[in-house]
Amino acid sequence: MKKYIFKRILGMIWVMFIVLTLVFIIVRLAPGDPATLMLGPDATPQEAIELREDMGFNRPIIIQYADFISKVAQGDLGKSIFFNQPVLSILAERAEPSILLTLFSLGIAISIALPFGIASAYYRGTLLDQSSLTSAMLIASIPSFWTGLILQQYLGTELGWFPVSGYGGPGASFGERAYHLLLPSLVLGVVNSALILRFTRASMLDVLTEDYVRTARSKGLSEMNVVLRQAFKNTLIPLATVIGLTFALLISGAVVTERVFNLPGIGSLVVGSVLRRDYPMIQGTLIVVSGVYVLVNFLIDMIYLWIDPRVKY
Amino acid sequence: MYKTKKIATLASIALLSSSLSGVAMSNTMGGVVNVAIIGEADTLDPMMSSKDVVGTVTQHIYETLFTFDSSWAPAPLLADGMPDVSSDGLTYTIKIRQGVNFHDGSSMDSADVVDSLNRWLSVASRGKSIASKVDSVSALDSHTVEIKLNSVYSALLSLMSMNNAAAVIYPQENIKGDDLAAPIGTGPYKVGEYKADQYLQLVRYDGYSSSKAPIDGAAGSRAGYLDEINFIPVGDGSTRLEGLLSGQFDFAESIAAESYARLESSSKAEPVLLAPYGWPMWVINHKKGIMTNLNVRKALQAALPAEEMLYAAFGDEKFYKADGALYPEGFIWNSDAGLENYGTGDTKKASAFLKASDYDGSPLRILTSKQYMWHFKTAEVAKVYLEQAGFKVQMDVVDWATLGQRRNNPDLWDVFLSHSPYIPEPSLNGTMQATYRSGWTNGEKEHLMSKFTSVTDTAERVAIWSQIQDNYFEDVGFIKLGSFNSLRGKSQSLKGVPETPWPFFWNAYK
Repeated sequence: MKKYIFKRILGMIWVMFIVLTLVFIIVRLAPGDPATLMLGPDATPQEAIELREDMGFNRPIIIQYADFISKVAQGDLGKSIFFNQPVLSILAERAEPSILLTLFSLGIAISIALPFGIASAYYRGTLLDQSSLTSAMLIASIPSFWTGLILQQYLGTELGWFPVSGYGGPGASFGERAYHLLLPSLVLGVVNSALILRFTRASMLDVLTEDYVRTARSKGLSEMNVVLRQAFKNTLIPLATVIGLTFALLISGAVVTERVFNLPGIGSLVVGSVLRRDYPMIQGTLIVVSGVYVLVNFLIDMIYLWIDPRVKY
Repeated sequence: MYKTKKIATLASIALLSSSLSGVAMSNTMGGVVNVAIIGEADTLDPMMSSKDVVGTVTQHIYETLFTFDSSWAPAPLLADGMPDVSSDGLTYTIKIRQGVNFHDGSSMDSADVVDSLNRWLSVASRGKSIASKVDSVSALDSHTVEIKLNSVYSALLSLMSMNNAAAVIYPQENIKGDDLAAPIGTGPYKVGEYKADQYLQLVRYDGYSSSKAPIDGAAGSRAGYLDEINFIPVGDGSTRLEGLLSGQFDFAESIAAESYARLESSSKAEPVLLAPYGWPMWVINHKKGIMTNLNVRKALQAALPAEEMLYAAFGDEKFYKADGALYPEGFIWNSDAGLENYGTGDTKKASAFLKASDYDGSPLRILTSKQYMWHFKTAEVAKVYLEQAGFKVQMDVVDWATLGQRRNNPDLWDVFLSHSPYIPEPSLNGTMQATYRSGWTNGEKEHLMSKFTSVTDTAERVAIWSQIQDNYFEDVGFIKLGSFNSLRGKSQSLKGVPETPWPFFWNAYK
């Protein structure tokens, strides 16, 4: 077991090294110049050249790469060109809305998906099953920005139940900040529930025909017990996988929803940084996001052990 | 947090009354205003950026010696009256107001002004543009400063009145070369809390010392009625609109034209139309490529149907005006010189110019971005006319950042699309400079521009500007498509916000 964990950690380091290299290359392949953007429309080309020189973008690419790897190895992700602050401190500021949004959205998604997924499998072929599947397909097909705009307009502007933008102003309490996340969480929760619902249904259909379920029923256990304790427990491995990956996706990938609701999360940070050609910020964010993916995958494997003691590595 | 605070205590009124002597105090004290701006101000050092958003935000924190009045003429702000200018036009003696305090409590004096102006001349793009004309900036006494020029430059005061790449005054001890130790100015608001990409909170500076002159544009007395101004960067236009309609924002910039009706019918907000706001332009590459040929440029000028292009871009005459003059009616610089060449969409005439030019069929590379969709729409309409005239058109559609980089390389484009607000002083318009990336220059124009900035008599300057406009049409320096208006929105309870390209909220109240 320890050997497996050690090997996995070594593998993670290797993956991250490849990620670092790819990130460095990809960021510099993108056209566009941070110096020009920073200086504004009236700046002369000469001023842009001078600023590029100051920022070190005129150095040979290999020197920039060596400098980049060396700094990352020391935990230094650099300083944002745009914010003029360390990349890590900006990311730390953005972590709270992104993590909370992910947790709220995942909570909503699971609350919708599990009951309907289980019921859909149990009542396979019925109107309930067909309605659940059709709704899930419909929800998955609607772009999240559209859902966001509609909910924003009706629940926010018309009814005034939720704030439509931002993460609370100066001095906002935790409760107030969380309140700002409810509407975007609802959007993401509903959208992401579709995938989890379909996974839950498919996994339940697999296990409901297993011998041990039949045995449980023949022993006279209640249907509730059979479905929720005997059958559902055995769907947890595939569900842990899909929920874990959804978590990783939401942490970094709620770009559109963050944009629509003007949330200062990691997704909007990535987009903003790309538009501003803020190289250190793009690099740092991609590294952290990749790290989250690698870590979540590792944790999912560890969770397998906890869910099913028969799993051995 | 977005709910408005209505606080009006006798104590605060008394405190402000003492610091704002001469300013009418009948308006409501207190309240918080949330202003949705289109993006983050990437610096709180307004010398370092010429971006409008930087100027809009930082003008509340810092002040310049001069500012613009409602007719866009320079007027004193931190200066105690207009300067004494020597008869040869080379020496400006500027008295500065006494009793002006910075946000850190220190008093402003000549030493602060001299160091700030010297920094402006060395780091700000506007300052650098005239640094070679400035011999010295020195203090004559604790509240008098002298600027000595080596050649007459009549746009000096206008240049010093701009709020971006601005000649603002910092405390001397805060200036650390290219850096600032802290965002401290003399303005009616000071920095409260800043969270990147979330908000910049400005809070009223109770020690503010206002000018006693009557309010006139950005000039005259300034009062901080509001407790707080929060500038909130909101990149998405529909979010700015919904925030305004829901009451979360009190003011929102750059609202899409099609939202006008929703704003008009709102019970909480109302539309604010700034007309004219600015002008869309086709910047022409005079350095390399097919556009270096005058007949090809004339063909382009003749082929463009300005009215149709503007209609495609803005969809409603409320939001644009097809006027070709470099300055629209209402500005003293408005002239009809050369207007017969403007926006005719005459493809036959264009075709004749192309034939006369020996145009070899090389593609006309139009560099544009869909991030400004209306830029792209004008190009789409123009493409049809240009092809009819005989041009081979290549649309290079890229993101704005890429456009920003490519336009610096004259090998990569023939025309790029941009826009600008109307700059009060024509000579400060970047596209008029020979050093601008388009490289537009000719002997007559440079002679006229030099004359324009060395003459101080306004009537004479207006006459010269008319000649410059004629030269612009004859040489096809660039193409101004017309004027466009800016749609903004504000809450119905917010009063006292002037219609200006760079909205400000001192003197505003709820």
